Amino acid sequence: MTGRCGVVVAHGRLGEGLLSALTRVAGAQDNLWAVSNDDLDTESLMAEIESLLAEHGAGREGILFSDLEGGSCCQACRRLLGRDSVRAVFYGVNLPLLIEFVFLQGLPFDEFSAALLTKSSGALGVHS
Amino acid sequence: MSEVLFRVDERLIHGQVVVGWGRRLHPDRIVVVSDDLSRQPVEQDIYRTGLPASIEAVFWNFREAIEGLPALLDSGKSIIVLTEDLGTMLRLASAAVTIEEVNVGGLFAGEGRTRLLPYVWFDAEDEQRVRDLEALGIRVVAQDVPTTAPVRLRERVG
Repeated sequence: MTGRCGVVVAHGRLGEGLLSALTRVAGAQDNLWAVSNDDLDTESLMAEIESLLAEHGAGREGILFSDLEGGSCCQACRRLLGRDSVRAVFYGVNLPLLIEFVFLQGLPFDEFSAALLTKSSGALGVHS
Repeated sequence: MSEVLFRVDERLIHGQVVVGWGRRLHPDRIVVVSDDLSRQPVEQDIYRTGLPASIEAVFWNFREAIEGLPALLDSGKSIIVLTEDLGTMLRLASAAVTIEEVNVGGLFAGEGRTRLLPYVWFDAEDEQRVRDLEALGIRVVAQDVPTTAPVRLRERVG
């Protein structure tokens, strides 16, 4: 497989909002899409993700980003893990995580995965 | 104070249940009543992912549920009982499990179903089950999360 593609699977309009913000800071991406679980059961959500990957992600490793661990988005993603091209499911998606996804494309998967987690979790903090 | 929520939701344990209702009710236990899932430990693990350590989730088949629920409901614990469909909830009520209200939180589009609310789609059987539950004295309301207004479904199904 050459390259990676990603789908942000999240509640409400979080996914499209994150991609909108990502475009502002990192430019438009042609390998990242958003899906909302609004009014969808798990099977329909899975079908929507699969359809997106089949249509646009052919030949690329699929990375899924969900918001809440254990939520319906995350469950749908986990059920797709190992199917078709889906290589990994990250949960707790945030903007720093997606920025690293964009800029660390070239790394082998294990390094890529570790770097995404390190950068995104390290980006959480408070000024008080 | 102990509280019990009986909820019909095709997604079973997920964000609205754990965060929305969980933060309101502080359940000690979530009981999923499903013959299929009671035999699928891998699927159960997926549903348990992300649950706070304070909440135990058990997956009971129907027989285990009618045997185990009465004592659990009397125990004073806060409990969320989940089924994937109204039919299972009606069977529980008919098997003398004490239910005052059924919360419908997610029944989605499918063959023969029409939309009542964005997260509630019924076919003719679902409508009849609402009438049957109400005939047993059980209120059936749609309410996805505690902060939205409950909608009495008896008035929607005619």
